[in-house]
Amino acid sequence: MRFFRIALVVLALMAVMAAPMQAQGKSATVSWPQEPDTLSPLYTSMTFAGYTYQLYLSGAWAFDADLTPFPVLVSEIPSVDNGGINADGTVFTLKLKEGLTWSDGDALDSADFLFTYEMIMAEGNAVGSRTPYDRFVSIEAPDATTVVITFAEPYAPWLSLFGAVLPEHVLRPVFEAEGSIDTADFNRNPTVSSGPYVFETWEVGSFMRFQANPAYVLGQPKIDTLVVTFIPDEVAYVAALINGDSDLGTFVAFSDVPALEEAGLTVEVIPSGYNEGWYLNTSAERAHPAMTDVNVRKAIAMAFDRDDFNATLNYGATFTPHSFWENTPYANPDIDPYPFDPAMAAQLLDEAGWVDSNGDGTRDKDGVELVLRFVTNTRGIRVDLQAIAQQQLAAVGIGTELINFPSDQFFAGYAEGGPISTGQYDIAELSTAPATFPDPNTVRFLCSEIPSDENPVGANDNYYCDPELDALFEQQSSTTDLAERIAIFHQIDQKMFDAAIWIGIWHDADVWITGSDLQNVALNGVTPFWDVQNWDVAS
Amino acid sequence: MARYVIRRLLQAIPLLLIVSFVLFALMQATGDPLATMGGRQPTRAADRERLARQLGLDQPIHVQYVYWLIGNDWVVVDAETGRTGTRRGILRGDFGVSYATRQPVLEMIGGRVPDTLLLTLTAEVLILTVSLGIGIFSAVRKYSFFDQAFTSISFVLYSVPVFIMAYTLIYAFSIGLRRAGLPYFPTSGIFDPAIGRTFEQVVWHMVLPVLTLSLISIAAYSRYIRSTMLEVISSDYIRTARSKGITERRTLFVHAFKNASLPLITLIGLDLPFLLGGAVVTETIFAWPGMGYLFINSLQRSDYPVLMGILMLIAVGVVISQLIVDLLYTVLDPRIRYS
Repeated sequence: MRFFRIALVVLALMAVMAAPMQAQGKSATVSWPQEPDTLSPLYTSMTFAGYTYQLYLSGAWAFDADLTPFPVLVSEIPSVDNGGINADGTVFTLKLKEGLTWSDGDALDSADFLFTYEMIMAEGNAVGSRTPYDRFVSIEAPDATTVVITFAEPYAPWLSLFGAVLPEHVLRPVFEAEGSIDTADFNRNPTVSSGPYVFETWEVGSFMRFQANPAYVLGQPKIDTLVVTFIPDEVAYVAALINGDSDLGTFVAFSDVPALEEAGLTVEVIPSGYNEGWYLNTSAERAHPAMTDVNVRKAIAMAFDRDDFNATLNYGATFTPHSFWENTPYANPDIDPYPFDPAMAAQLLDEAGWVDSNGDGTRDKDGVELVLRFVTNTRGIRVDLQAIAQQQLAAVGIGTELINFPSDQFFAGYAEGGPISTGQYDIAELSTAPATFPDPNTVRFLCSEIPSDENPVGANDNYYCDPELDALFEQQSSTTDLAERIAIFHQIDQKMFDAAIWIGIWHDADVWITGSDLQNVALNGVTPFWDVQNWDVAS
Repeated sequence: MARYVIRRLLQAIPLLLIVSFVLFALMQATGDPLATMGGRQPTRAADRERLARQLGLDQPIHVQYVYWLIGNDWVVVDAETGRTGTRRGILRGDFGVSYATRQPVLEMIGGRVPDTLLLTLTAEVLILTVSLGIGIFSAVRKYSFFDQAFTSISFVLYSVPVFIMAYTLIYAFSIGLRRAGLPYFPTSGIFDPAIGRTFEQVVWHMVLPVLTLSLISIAAYSRYIRSTMLEVISSDYIRTARSKGITERRTLFVHAFKNASLPLITLIGLDLPFLLGGAVVTETIFAWPGMGYLFINSLQRSDYPVLMGILMLIAVGVVISQLIVDLLYTVLDPRIRYS
């Protein structure tokens, strides 16, 4: 008995850790399936870290529900008409609002913009990405409310600049003392805010809590306390939403949508720029010899019933995209996706010279069997798709070898021998978006980005090179007129479609779940929090 | 005895060095920590090349290992400025910095250990308490209805994978109870953020994860205890004890159980280091902020410094727990002596 008593006392001592605390005023809970790795915008590529730091850090501008930019720290969105962009699109002038302050009362001004740039480019800081700041020729602050950025060449994706601005008065002393802000306490425990909320606490592995910022430039949020919880397991995540323990969640599988709707929750599918697609390797050296033939690539697209897959395994919650820029103005509306047409696929393969000469059920040519390496990661829906696609491709005589990698191996770089980067595949399935969405710019299909031993940092995993396509990409990246840029993208889209180098599988929009208590919620594909100050709760 | 303990600890040093090198080498095969940096897309190649240089990942594996072991504050890492490294190495108490969170590894692990121990020790106490009761009772009432019923139940429980057990409990005691309009158990976290970390909250949140961890192990442990107790209570010395008129309670709990507990101590000794390592599946499903949850997160990000820190902690735990078990043998069995 003594053992049991001691055990109970030990347990009681271990459980009693902190004093009770009761939330004041209106409160809402948002749940993520991943815990943010940091609250600094400099050190993460994680979607949920990106969402969360926007609660306490503001940027120059943000995007509304239609992905139209609106001013936050700037007084107006720069344009040629208002003098914010010079005639050739190389100089951008940001005019800040007067009287901006951090939550501690310190002035937020152009010096903070310059400091943010300095931190991104500092060699002592191992930041996640320097793009596009490494293209700056200069950045200057003629006065406290003006920032002037100069590029060497016209830079169309300028709206990706300054999504968050760092507080110089807090971080400068850290940088000067340590030569780096990599491990600054501010990254996990920010002490000042320019966003709608002020950070309060981060219970590692459990939740973060934010309190409304009365000094927020767009107005004090109606909800006083916002809690962000982390629930990594899909079943527990859905259970928390159904039980009402979470008011807002996302990234649930399409297969969970019926159960969530049945529980009376609001389900919204919000485009985030991502599309699940097949990258087809066109390299003469690294891919199967058939993959250099455009008719074979088109046959692959026609041999798999993508619409049926989306109607069944994706529960009709999404659809087959025809464009890398699906659901944006940059997608060419005149393109019809390749239909599911096994007869046409077989005809194209015949015309390309791939026939089943030895009667083994798989086509061949010059003694080479048409067996393709179909790679992806270990995500369940992708593994299911591989199995179905294997059967359907086999029906037209295309054999496949299914290969699955853990994500960190699948996405590994050229130097690390990653299967996509090194071109050790014929079909690769993954979900991608333009890196600076909602801007459409991408370097994925440029000839100069083909990886090699001499260019291990290349991003063109298709190993596809078309100088005409290159010229169009170059043209769009220096075109600041929106209508003109859209027209160029329609040409790009048509050329990519004709070359059949990327086959859309499903439009990988984000599924957002909102509980009935949460009101006035408007989301977009960049961040759920662009309008969080207007959210409210029913009770 | 003291010389024996010192000798065992000295023997552990080369063993841990070998383990650390093998683990470090294996880490390189698990993936690229810069592949996505936690994002949904591959890291831009130019950024990956720069980050590899800044984080020292462009160095050969043996150099990375040496830096991890003894630091790089004696090496010039930037020829232009003459700047030396800042790492002191694990032998000088610097476990490095996480690639993902940029936090000191020791700080990350230290923050998770209490919550992991809270969960795993509670489960272990429950497992031992319940399985001892069931095991001894089953042995004493061999082939009774209770014995046969629990034999059947234990086979079923032991066959259930831990994640199925967790999901079943979630559906039954969270979603199911809520649908029935009854108070329901929470499925994630360690306490309700709106209420705070109170004793009641922690206990309430522990119910489902502790049950998940315990039910399967109770089934296994109780069968083990039953069989060792059966073997002991049929021994001659137990018959002698009974014939001398010693009470049944004293015979069972003092004479029989002491000897039956020797193999049990071995079993518990093997469990001990993994109590520290956390319950990977259970912690992840119930979002319990412990070492198992941290391990999975770090594995997904190929965050070598954190993974190495956790694995070395477990390796040290194995060495120490085995030493403790060996010493406990001498307490329980006077015939065992170390010199």
